[in-house]
Amino acid sequence: MSPTSPDAAAAAAAAATRARFDALVLPHLDRLLAFARRRTESLADAEDAVQEACVRAWIGFGELRDDVKVRPWLYRILRTALADAREKNGRRSQLVSITRLEQAHDELLGGDENAVFAEVVARLSSEVVHLALAEIPEDFAVAVELHDIDGFKYVEIAEIVGVPIGTVMSRIARGRKLLAGAVRANQGAWAAAGWAARSGTTTTTNPSRRVRPGGRS
Amino acid sequence: MSDRHRPFAPDTGRDFADDAAREQRHGVLIELLGAYVDRELPAETVSQIDAHLLGCARCRGEVAVHEAVRARLAVEPPRAPSPALRERIAGALDALPAPVAAPEVERATVAPAPRRRPALLAWGVAGLALVLALLAGATRWEAWRASAAAVPELAVPARSVPLLDAVLGDYRRATAGDLPGRARDLAAVREAVPFPVEPMRSPSLRLLAAWTTDLRGEPAAVLAYRYGDRLVVQYVVSEGAFFRDPAVRGAVASHHLLVASDGAQAVVAWPAPASALLLVGDVPARELAAVRAGED
Repeated sequence: MSPTSPDAAAAAAAAATRARFDALVLPHLDRLLAFARRRTESLADAEDAVQEACVRAWIGFGELRDDVKVRPWLYRILRTALADAREKNGRRSQLVSITRLEQAHDELLGGDENAVFAEVVARLSSEVVHLALAEIPEDFAVAVELHDIDGFKYVEIAEIVGVPIGTVMSRIARGRKLLAGAVRANQGAWAAAGWAARSGTTTTTNPSRRVRPGGRS
Repeated sequence: MSDRHRPFAPDTGRDFADDAAREQRHGVLIELLGAYVDRELPAETVSQIDAHLLGCARCRGEVAVHEAVRARLAVEPPRAPSPALRERIAGALDALPAPVAAPEVERATVAPAPRRRPALLAWGVAGLALVLALLAGATRWEAWRASAAAVPELAVPARSVPLLDAVLGDYRRATAGDLPGRARDLAAVREAVPFPVEPMRSPSLRLLAAWTTDLRGEPAAVLAYRYGDRLVVQYVVSEGAFFRDPAVRGAVASHHLLVASDGAQAVVAWPAPASALLLVGDVPARELAAVRAGED
């Protein structure tokens, strides 16, 4: 094959496209995997979802019009892949008792413990953070995570989730309140179950959603 | 009662209507405190909230909650993907055709200081190159299909060749139920066999599952692909196992490709640099040969 033949040109173009894809997408695998892991029952399921998202992203790479928007584009694809996997596996989101969490949040603001709440939250282990996020409705958790963990702006979250920016604002505000309520309501139970604070003793148990009836699937 | 329980502490002589208005404003502003903490509000609204916070302990508490949760989540670590996952993704992408390079064209149109005529020219050149590449690819594809279709089928019954008999039997067993493996098992499969295992790169194939099996006492890697609405299965065996049979050696020496059928199933087989591959499916032999041809 001559270096200047159409075959060589096509091969070079394909290689360049793949290199550009790798450069744009692969640096975000860690965040995508963490996002997927928080809404799957196992690491293997999360990895499958990320792989499926990468395949879909590659197939639809021509749709990416602006490299700067690759992150929201990838998250949108991953959310679709996760939703498809959830439907395929027959899992459904479970209803969450919002009233109980709102009451816990109100008690938090009405009592003296509000002064030390920031310190308590700062010391939460990742396991407890994941448990708390699993306690609140999926839509609220997604909005809060996309902003606070993954660093998206409101307008980007609106694009990823496909809702108006006012809805994003409302979901983040309410999601954080419910998250605080979840921490307050479950703090004792989680501590008794061995979920350690970041500065406390370590735990080796995996906070899988499978072993925690009543959580979001 | 402390002012923690009510938005505004009692103030002797305060007008009731004024309190009601401030209460109403409190109800509106408290819904904006998340966006306030996130700096997502216009300056004018921020100023209103700043003023409101001075007199509202509950909203100050609400802001503190938002800030605490946000600060904790901000340090939540990512999860590093394993080398195996990276390899799986690379393998899955390798098995797919390259997407149409529309983004390159699109980026050319947003390059700094574009002038209309050069931009149109860039579109034209890129489009022409794409058409040429597609035409060249189509021409090569047709040549491959023609040469593969010209390979005659094996002169002897497929089941009379021990290797093909073992592969066809294994294929029927494996496809009679759920597939034994998953695509993500490819890394484990590679580690389990003493020869290289590479997925096929045909645009018409998508890797679904990988596992290992035993063919006449020798290890083999098995990769299952989606082919349209059907399933085709690739067996990777050692060179020794492949070249042991004279019928196989003869077919490969003559045509670089073995083509055989057995009922509804067809097999095409060919040697690789350090292994050999057999592709099996409930697909006509010539079509299966064309699938293999598109893999180069």
